[in-house]
Amino acid sequence: MRWMLEHSDAPAWNYAVGDRVEKADLPAVETVRRETWESRGGGTGAAPARILEWVAAMRGRVPLFQEYLPDGMDLARDWGAVPTMCREDIAVRPEDIVPVDESLDRLIVYDTSGTTGHAIRVPHHPRAMAQNHPMMEFVLEQFGIRPEFGPGKVACINVGAQVGTVVFANVFSVWKQAGFAKVNLHPHAWNPERAQRFFREMGPLFVTGDPLGFMEMKKWEIDIRPAALLSAAVALGPALKEELEAAYGCPVIDTYATTETGPIAYANPEGEGLSVLPVDIYVEIVDEDGCPVAEGEPGEICVTGGRNPYMPLLRYRTGDFARMTWSKQFGSDPMPRLLDLQAREPVAFEAADGSVVSPVDIGRVIRAWVFVQHQFVQHEDRSCDMVIRPAPGCPIGVDRMKEQLEALFGKGIKVGITLDDTLGDDSPGGKVVPFIREGLTPSC
Amino acid sequence: MTVEGPVLDRLTHRLSECSPDLLEEPCVGGRGTIHVDAVVNDLVLDLGGAPVPGDVLRRFCPAASVERNHMRLVMVACWLLHDPWFVRKKSFAEAALAWLSEGLEEVAGLVKSSLFVTDPDRREELARLCLAALGLRPKGESGAHAEDRLRTLNSVERARVISAMREKQERARKLREKMEQERAREAAAKASREW
Repeated sequence: MRWMLEHSDAPAWNYAVGDRVEKADLPAVETVRRETWESRGGGTGAAPARILEWVAAMRGRVPLFQEYLPDGMDLARDWGAVPTMCREDIAVRPEDIVPVDESLDRLIVYDTSGTTGHAIRVPHHPRAMAQNHPMMEFVLEQFGIRPEFGPGKVACINVGAQVGTVVFANVFSVWKQAGFAKVNLHPHAWNPERAQRFFREMGPLFVTGDPLGFMEMKKWEIDIRPAALLSAAVALGPALKEELEAAYGCPVIDTYATTETGPIAYANPEGEGLSVLPVDIYVEIVDEDGCPVAEGEPGEICVTGGRNPYMPLLRYRTGDFARMTWSKQFGSDPMPRLLDLQAREPVAFEAADGSVVSPVDIGRVIRAWVFVQHQFVQHEDRSCDMVIRPAPGCPIGVDRMKEQLEALFGKGIKVGITLDDTLGDDSPGGKVVPFIREGLTPSC
Repeated sequence: MTVEGPVLDRLTHRLSECSPDLLEEPCVGGRGTIHVDAVVNDLVLDLGGAPVPGDVLRRFCPAASVERNHMRLVMVACWLLHDPWFVRKKSFAEAALAWLSEGLEEVAGLVKSSLFVTDPDRREELARLCLAALGLRPKGESGAHAEDRLRTLNSVERARVISAMREKQERARKLREKMEQERAREAAAKASREW
């Protein structure tokens, strides 16, 4: 780790954080490892017994579950009538979701990236984050990749492209102290020449990131030969996937995950769509009333279960849409498949100096205020307008917000801000697309 | 509460007429003038029961001064149970003794005994608690109505609800405080955004 931290071409590290894993967490990580490989199945489309038992057990510990599951309810028979959870529940009433008897000693907090709307704070647990690692290994193995982790090796580097973000290096306990770095490919934070040397020296076994980060990696001509690129956060378009595969000579694997749920699915090399990845969640597709739809029909993706002890999920609406099949076999992984996933689309904005401004950068500014939702649009002339739907009783510092956003985009780019109590009223589900770049066809 | 009992007003009126003498100092820790154990034993006999065994009667001669309000409440309850409606039936001795022995301690810890004489809602609460303990419902009420009304008035239940609410509020406060603290620490390292 010292080698990464003190490398002459390293980025300007601005943070220090570890994985916060304790020895007592390791058996739970191994349980996920074993189950991810050994307990896969397509199911029947209905909530499996394991999930029903888990929900019944949580009912005694989680106020929101008690509220949603009246006495006498038969979970198996009445599943479709169980109310759905949503982002607002997490934002407004986390105390009703965190189990009443769960110690808060290990609690950590992530802010969602805000790519689909206002960022929310999600209580999390280091053990749950560590349990994601064997699932990442599983995904890589589907492409014939079995990284050998160990001290002195760099397991992976995470690439992003934002005006501002934390940049740090650490080692992962569950990957035998292999190194990890989170870097920012933005001219305000680093430069291509140094990044190229750093990456060559580090030789990460694989690279994680989002499509914007990968686009910048290619643009910066970072010339490495990782075993794979794992993409998350926003949809990876086929054109960019092909470009990256040609440039780096390795599989580029799209994954679908959210901060609230953790990983949900990965793009299976066999057949179409994405295979559900964890075996301890139940993924279903519902209509706008929360009723399960028939196999193969489109609807909103809902998730129940999970391994985050502070965020047990009960029919949690992700805000993303897809079709799902469980009876059709596409290849060796029997888990259900998500087809025609319509998740968050990548949007990149342009600053006055031509550099990238990410929706996450905008989210960092606007999350200082509480409001219902927003829509940020950058026009073809690069000027921007944002409409905000205020929350009752929560004032918005429009002038201050405008000042900060104009500073983010740089001199010459004007940002207009309007408050509108009716924003979203005419949209399906009351939700609007939060970030729009006019005049561009998404290239990734 | 399957069996119909007396009209509720009869009992609440009786409570309002409870003599102040009955609320004199009960014998607790060797001090006081009212022998609660003797009053209980007399009541049980009047209700058609057998003399109360000594070990049971000793519960009504407590040593600790904290029991004072409890013993006063037992006296008020004895006054209530002496209503001719109960005495005539000669069938409530056992249930009455059980109620007096074990059914009043919790509410006595929450409410001043004199309020069960002076306050209309508390009079109704005690009358309903008495009927419920004897397996009766007020004349003219359904079992469901009687249960519902008792739930509304029940001081013990109310205290539980308030205590549960306060616990919930305190936990919510602790959670938010912890989340605010942890937010400043930027969580833990993870290999990919959203994972």
